Order: sequence, then C-alpha cells, then structure tokens
Amino acid sequence: MIEFEGVVKTYEGHREALSGVNFRLAPGEMAFLTGHSGAGKSTLLRLILGLEKSSSGIVRVAGSDLSTLSGEKLARYRRRVGVVFQDPNLEDDLSVYDNVALPLRISGFSESEIPKRVRAALSRVDLSDQANASPRFLSGGQQQRVGIARAIVHRPALLVADEPTGNLDPELSARVMRMFTQFQQLGVTILVATHERAVVDSLPFRRLVIEKGRLVSDGMGSR
Amino acid sequence: MARWILDHLQAIKDAWRRTADRLTQFMVVVCLLGILLAIPGWLAQIWLSMASLVPEEVVQSEAIVFLNKELDVEARIDLERVLSEMKEIEQVIFVAKNVALKELSAQDGLGPIADLQANNPLPDALRLKFSIRALKKTENNIIANLLADKRVLSLRYFPSTRVQYSSLVEKLGLLGVALSGLAVLGVAMAVFLVAAADVVDDQRRIELYTLLGASKSFIRRPYLYRATWLGILSGFIACLVIISLNELLSADFVTNLKALDSRLEHLPVDARTLVGVATAAILASWVGAERAVNRRLSALH
Repeated sequence: MIEFEGVVKTYEGHREALSGVNFRLAPGEMAFLTGHSGAGKSTLLRLILGLEKSSSGIVRVAGSDLSTLSGEKLARYRRRVGVVFQDPNLEDDLSVYDNVALPLRISGFSESEIPKRVRAALSRVDLSDQANASPRFLSGGQQQRVGIARAIVHRPALLVADEPTGNLDPELSARVMRMFTQFQQLGVTILVATHERAVVDSLPFRRLVIEKGRLVSDGMGSR
Repeated sequence: MARWILDHLQAIKDAWRRTADRLTQFMVVVCLLGILLAIPGWLAQIWLSMASLVPEEVVQSEAIVFLNKELDVEARIDLERVLSEMKEIEQVIFVAKNVALKELSAQDGLGPIADLQANNPLPDALRLKFSIRALKKTENNIIANLLADKRVLSLRYFPSTRVQYSSLVEKLGLLGVALSGLAVLGVAMAVFLVAAADVVDDQRRIELYTLLGASKSFIRRPYLYRATWLGILSGFIACLVIISLNELLSADFVTNLKALDSRLEHLPVDARTLVGVATAAILASWVGAERAVNRRLSALH
C-alpha cells in the first residue's frame, strides 16, 4: 500500500529532514511510526498525504507515484485517505453530523447516501447520540472520536494518524487504539505516528523508528 | 438536488457565516471601496453628462472639399468611396454645384440668376463630417492628403472645439483614465488584502479541506462569493455616492444649465457610468479575492 524507496527530503537552507528512507507497508497492515519530536515523523506523513514532494526517491501509495500527482489528481488521491490529527480539527460552526459528512460532500456523494454513511461512522465511534451536538460542547475524547469518524466515513483504504492520542488520557488512548485495531481487521491500512511509548508497547504491531530523518529500526512489537 | 447546487448553497452559507462573523469590518470595507470607486465614476459621470449637453458641432469637425472642375464622375465616386471607408469620417455628402448655387442664391437673396445658372462658377464639392472620436492628428493627416490630391481643387476645414483644444482634452482624459485605473487597482488590492487576511485566519480550515481532498474550486468558493457580495455592495454604495454628488453639485449649475436647455434642471446621470462602476467593483473584488486565495492554495496543494 505504501512504498518509500530511498526517500530524501531537504528543506531549503536546512539539514535533511529525511535521509534515504526505505520501507513498505502492505495493504491491511497496521504500523506505528515512532521517534522523538523533530525526528522526521511529520515530514514523512506530509509526504504520504501529498502535502510535500520528496527531494529525491519515490513515494508510492496504492501504486501511484505521488510526485507525479498534482491538482485534481492529488485531490482525488486524498479522498481515498483518512487522516486523524492530534487536534481533531473540527469545524465548530458545524454539527457533529456535518463535520463527519464533510469528506462525503467533498467527494461528491449523493445526499441520500450521506446519512447512512454518517450514521454508520458515528455508531463505530459510539457517538450516535451526539449527531446534532456542536463539537465545542464535547469532551476532548469525544472530539477525537468525531475526528476518527470523519476519517473513516468514506471508507478509506489508508488511514494516517498523527499523534491521535496526544491530548487524551490513557483510558481514552486505549479506546482509540482499539478502534484502529478494529479498522485494521476490516482491511484498512493504518499508519499511526506517535511518540508515546505506552501506546506503542500496548499493541503487537510493526514499529518504524525514525531518528534524525533516518529509519533506524523496522520490526514487530510485542505486548 | 444536483450535487453542485448543494455545494454552491453550502458555499453561500459559509460565505454568509464568515461575513456575519466580521460584519463591522465588512461594512467598513464596503463603504471605503464604494467611496474609492465613486472617484472614477464621478469623473466619468461629468464627462458623459457634459458630452450629452454639448452640441454635436462642437465635438464634430467638418470639411468642405471642392473638387476639380474637370473631374469625371468615376474619379469623383472613387474619391467619395475612399473617404467613406475611412473610420475617422462619419459621413460624406456630395454637394452638386447647381445645388450649391441655388442655396447660395437663396441665402444672398439674389434669386435665380439665369446668367450664373448658365455658366456656374462653383465647383462640385464633398462635405465631410468627421467622427466625434477622430483624433486631431488623424484629421490633420486626412486634410493634408486631400490637399495633395490632384482631384481636389481646395478645401475648407472647420475643426471642432474638441479638436482645437485636443491637447487639453487629452491630458484631462488621460488624468481621468489614470485616476480611474488607480482607483480600480486600489479596490482590487484592498480586496486582495481583505481576502488574504481571511485566508490566513482560515488557514487551519483550508489545510483541513485540502487534506480531505477538496478541490481548489471547492475551497475558494466561499471566499469568492464573499468577494462578489463585497463588490456588489461597494458598487451600490459607489452609485449612491455618484447620484448624491450629482444632485448636490448640479444645483449650482442650474442657471447655466437652463440657459443651455430650458428642460434641464440638473446634469443627467448616465446609466453607463453606474453600470460601469458596478461592473468594475464586482470584477475588481472578484479578481482580488481570486488571486489571494489562489496564492495560498498553490502553496498548499
């Protein structure tokens, strides 16, 4: 699903943010991307999301070389990816329902299809009863779950999460990770960037450890 | 309902939400842009309304071209055709020598003089009416060419007042056009800055929409709707300012205007000015916002 071949990313006037990164994530696989702040995790995610282009090397997702995509093609690619942020990035002016429906509206789903999908996504994150609420009246954990529902509502083949448990207490973090595990079991490829050791240690998934822009370790974790 | 209609309705709702959130700022910008746009509008209004009051002969030059007596009909028709085809000449009228003699005789009160009619000393002539847009230089060129033409015996040229004072008129015109251009550019820049500030405020939202796969047009739609409203409202304010100025200032001219035409109570407001100002307001707002949003989106996409 995701292939990095000798990927280098250099920002003008700065050192290399990524240096010759190679890895491959199979469809339906779940992996953690770990490392300290500034190690290059966010850069790697930005490359996967097509927000940056690599300076050299190839970033391929679902068979598409991302450096060749631009404009509408890149937008179409992003519609097949779900993104979860540390800060859920919800629109306060929209209800929970409308926030979750956003990717569907952007992707051009019909109005008859949207309610079914939104209800299903909210039910997956146990927020069916909050559909009409405003996100500003929800707790941090609930907001994060709305963000997750928004990321999976269009049934993406790839889910990318950037520090999804960064603002949550351990109990909520565990709950969110359980959700990711369930999505992985449904065949979704998941890459979770986190620097929280407890989260990574709690689950037996692959770990990609990045330090100073280099992939220094790639192996399976254990509980 | 079609998806694109729903998307546009959503964009209109978003634009309204954004406007309502910053209503005071929006109204201040509308008034400032309206006043700014009223400057070229008011200049155009003076120009057009005065032009509608000024008699045509003042702005339209004329020439009487006396033709050589031996000129045959074909050569005369050829000259007439060449002159008619010039875009600077609006009308070519052939004045036959017997018609000219009759008119002259009638004017002089001499009545028909058999002797003159039998041996008409006048040449045939062409009466040229220049276009009201013809430039002084072009008119002079045409006159010089005619004087050098062997088919022409002589000519009399009556330059319009506009042509006589053309350098002054041109300078004033250029000043007006430059002021108008600056005002429209100012509006575009002001809207650019307002839209750019909106985009910076909404950077988080724009990044989110980008990550969710929204196309550029989807993201920029609310900003363009907002800019269009800004343009429509500032254009409306500009029209109100122009009409008010017109009402206010033409009161001072009433006496003079009445001397020109008893029906005139004030300078008539020319609809072209209002349409022009409103169109310029909408276009400048739209272009300003489009550039600002595009610049930000290009950096992101």
